Amino acid sequence: MATEAADGGGPGGGRGDATLARLRRRFEGPNTVGNSRSFWIGFAVAVLALVAYPLAVGSYQASRFSLFLVYAFLGLSLSVVWGYAGVLSFGQVVFFGVAGYTFGVVSVNFATPLGITAAFLLGIVGGALMAAVLGYFMFYGGVRDVYVTIITLVSTLVLHTFMAQTAGDEWTIGTAALGGFNGMPTIPTLAFGVGPVALTFDSVSFYYLVLALLVATYLGLRALVNSDYGRVMVAVREDEDRTRMFGYDVKRLKFTVFTVGGALAGLSGVLYASWGNYVSPQVFELAFASLPVIWVSVGGRKTLLGAVVATVGIEFFRNSLGGEWAFVAVGTLLLVFILGLPGGIVPWLHRTYLDLREESGAPDPADGADAPEVSES
Amino acid sequence: MVNGLNLLFQFLDSFAFIVLAAVGLAIIFGIMGVINLAHGEFIMVGAYATTLVNVRLGLPLPVAMLAGVLAATLFGLVVERVVISGSVPNAIGRRLVGRDVVEPLYDRLADSMVATWGLSLIMVQGVRILLGNSLDQIGTPLGNLAYGGFSYSTYRVLLAGVAVAVLAFAYYLFTRTDYGMRARATIQSEHTARALGVDTERTYMTTFAVGSGLAGLTGALYAPTITMVPTLGGSFLVEAFVAVVVGGSGVVLGTLLAGGLLGSINALFSNLIGTFFGRIALLATAIVMLRFLPDGITGYVEHVRDRRREGT
Amino acid sequence: MTGRSVGRREFLASGAAVAGTALAGCAAGGSSSGSDTIKIGVLEDRSGNFALVGAPKHKATMLAIEEINEAGGIDGKQIETFAPDPQSDNQRYQELTRRAIDQEEVDVLWAGYSSATREAIRPIIDREDQLYFYTTQYEGGVCDKNVFAVGPTARQQLGSVLPYLVEEYGTQIYTIAADYNFGQLSADWVKVLADENGAEVVGEEFIPLSNSQFGSTINRIQEADPDFVMSMLVGANHTSFYEQKASAGLEVPIGTSTAMAQGYEHRRLDPPAMANIYAGVNYMEEIPTESNTKEGGFVDRYYEMYPDAPYLNEEAQTNYFSVYMYKQAVEQAGTTDQAEVRAALESGISLGPEHAPEAPAGGSIELDPATHHVDHHMWVMRADGEHNVEAVADRKIPEKFLTDTVGCDLASEDEETQYTPQDYFPEAG
Repeated sequence: MATEAADGGGPGGGRGDATLARLRRRFEGPNTVGNSRSFWIGFAVAVLALVAYPLAVGSYQASRFSLFLVYAFLGLSLSVVWGYAGVLSFGQVVFFGVAGYTFGVVSVNFATPLGITAAFLLGIVGGALMAAVLGYFMFYGGVRDVYVTIITLVSTLVLHTFMAQTAGDEWTIGTAALGGFNGMPTIPTLAFGVGPVALTFDSVSFYYLVLALLVATYLGLRALVNSDYGRVMVAVREDEDRTRMFGYDVKRLKFTVFTVGGALAGLSGVLYASWGNYVSPQVFELAFASLPVIWVSVGGRKTLLGAVVATVGIEFFRNSLGGEWAFVAVGTLLLVFILGLPGGIVPWLHRTYLDLREESGAPDPADGADAPEVSES
Repeated sequence: MVNGLNLLFQFLDSFAFIVLAAVGLAIIFGIMGVINLAHGEFIMVGAYATTLVNVRLGLPLPVAMLAGVLAATLFGLVVERVVISGSVPNAIGRRLVGRDVVEPLYDRLADSMVATWGLSLIMVQGVRILLGNSLDQIGTPLGNLAYGGFSYSTYRVLLAGVAVAVLAFAYYLFTRTDYGMRARATIQSEHTARALGVDTERTYMTTFAVGSGLAGLTGALYAPTITMVPTLGGSFLVEAFVAVVVGGSGVVLGTLLAGGLLGSINALFSNLIGTFFGRIALLATAIVMLRFLPDGITGYVEHVRDRRREGT
Repeated sequence: MTGRSVGRREFLASGAAVAGTALAGCAAGGSSSGSDTIKIGVLEDRSGNFALVGAPKHKATMLAIEEINEAGGIDGKQIETFAPDPQSDNQRYQELTRRAIDQEEVDVLWAGYSSATREAIRPIIDREDQLYFYTTQYEGGVCDKNVFAVGPTARQQLGSVLPYLVEEYGTQIYTIAADYNFGQLSADWVKVLADENGAEVVGEEFIPLSNSQFGSTINRIQEADPDFVMSMLVGANHTSFYEQKASAGLEVPIGTSTAMAQGYEHRRLDPPAMANIYAGVNYMEEIPTESNTKEGGFVDRYYEMYPDAPYLNEEAQTNYFSVYMYKQAVEQAGTTDQAEVRAALESGISLGPEHAPEAPAGGSIELDPATHHVDHHMWVMRADGEHNVEAVADRKIPEKFLTDTVGCDLASEDEETQYTPQDYFPEAG
């Protein structure tokens, strides 16, 4: 991405440009925002800024910001499941929490780098598995629309009620006490590797790990939703019956996407548990369960970028406010945004940007919904 | 025999709580397709208004309860005009920039959830800032019923009767009044209703006001029994949601049947095993009902009725 | 662990050199050892679920600090505070704790109402070796070198009221408790104490924190017909129990460690909801000690600073006296260096009634060096039919569990654990 590539071929275009354009085409399409060279340049600048952030503000602020980046995975998981497959789930935090607890239990029992690495993977698997079970129960049982939402909400409540009373000694798995309402403290910090060849991620290194994972996940999801599979996802979102009548196995698609969403939420949960060395039933509370819906609604649920930007932005804002007017400010902000920009911020910004470009009359052949044609001279 | 009475009173208590928690939400959801996550806060408005009028102004309890209902209704009207239908922002917008600035929240499930969640944050914190962390409470009136070695609060048992009366009132409202007819027409098909001359905007406004008023009534009725903190609405929310969804699209019948079913399950498990299991049983029932009767009880009833009609 | 801290300081130094003052607050707020002020971190809930009980804690801490500052400060140094509102959110607690330690570099930290909060920040406290006072009444058992849990433990509170009620009313006890750690562990202590006092627990019920309807609970109590009930209910939802039991006509006496002293139910609820309720506490506004009730005493001073405050609750006094304990330790150590202050705190700090209003004239409370807990002066306070509260018994109760049963000795051996009665008492299982 460092080299400039001429768009649409022409003199000077060569094999390098064609490869770059082909590469870009995988990540661009009608299902995501930003399909031009200027977008990718902006994206690169933003990533570089994020890379430089800890150097500018110090390890405490970087550690604080890394939590918002961790939440971005949770926002992405809902965006994928809701914005792209049409399943509004209040239960992403269920998979988040299950993964966090799984990570906690395994890593407390096996507190070696190898054990923690295993815990990391098992946590994600745990989140995905929980989503698979719930998804099977719902989608193959024919539950649809708002009732899916309600079931996911009720699952959150069940888990909260249940986990809050796991306080006694009988609720210990190996050496890890579930801790009930007080939660499970002393979860080890994230580490990858075996024995002496291990990397521990703390403060700044944790920040960079999360940033790297986030960029990779974002690009991966971009490729997914712009692929053929992604088009089917969107078709299901737009009109489930029609897609089914075209012969697609809608149940299996929703089930698969829901499981993938569970894995993403699980990744978020694992990172969260290792960030604070702590997980508690508070993650299953209604307040926290509504947050992903709020992030994604405000950011623009039909875009991945919206989910990431809104999650980080809203959490940063919420976190920076103190005092008794903080909740009032957040509530007002939500109202204003959802009423004024119901499609979300990022699509609105994108539309405004495109309008401005049109008005200025600069024809950028790469702009528009379709990937640029590559012609070799 | 004594245990049977225990079970009966617990059932009536549970039934009343679930029905009264749900009825306001059911009306708004059923007719307008708006999920009101601030429903608990409307209950809080009714409870707080009742308590303030009774404790600080010294007026008798029934008058205070009326004040609670009125406060919630008025508040609901304001919310409907500003947030749900957006007519106030639109009127301002038309004057300032010449066009509508917001779209109404009807039938926009997710968006109405986000908007009402924001509203609930503002309400809870606003009440906390204005009135502090708690209010002094009203005592429960009417003493108790003693039987054998047991006793139950008379007031709480009577609430079951009030719950049925509220449902009867809702039934009357929706089947015997002009407003009710217009509301049902709007549920069935908004376009047709409007084409036939129904002022759907006003119908929605009235519906939201009615729903808010009923939520306020719930708050007013329960004010003498629960703690007056700004977050008191939260303890009604779960039961309300679960009942609305298990009940299905029929507002009156659905709430009645859901209250009956969930109330008996809750009472049974609470009585036989413990409060924790009562809660879990209630939530588990909801999940099972949703899985096997996705359109709720009334949806299933209608389904059966349609099938039987086709059969003849 | 030390290698990491060095890395962080290096980063800060190079970051500051490279970017200058890019963001407000990026440079540390100024370390205070060697400077003219002492920095105290106070994280107490003033909004959210625990606002009702957290606000008095905040106020009382500020009262103590203002008194000390007006009298010349600690060793001549004025106290400045870092006191944001964590909003009853454990996430914020973690974040603000890190900020207090890393950015504000506080010399000592007071934080948190609930045990869940304490457990959420304890890993951070232990990792940074931060001096920390936890002042809420709690289930007991924390043996941690950085934590000074100076509030009364469940064993102390229940141990004051339960024997009194056994003598007054009889030996059949029914327990109702909130269904989470504190409630369950307190219920275990009820069983241990019943065994020690020749009483018997005839029934137990655990109620989820979100539950506010107690019809079946009341019926079950009536069925068991105990001599008295032990109640460890917690939170706003559970407060409804007292109103509902009164309206159901349930008149059995109730002993509690949680009601009245923290959330002042006897002021908020209509009489006779709290009639015949016995609270076992180290402090509540109504205790009859001289230092509390005299003109210009603790209650007067509190309301002079906060005329609109609704109540002066149990934890507020603990926050108040622990600030004075810190003052004494710093003056004894001659420095604010946290390791040395900790050693001073472990040398045997004692406070008289002037700074610890829970103690009667001539009495005192002691900070136990080995366990970092306090030997409290415990009171049994009874509310009557009109909600007038009076003391019916009082005595000094030392912390027993960690000292005698577990053998926690932080003065000689560092530890960071929480112990539970189930591991040591067969009757608690």
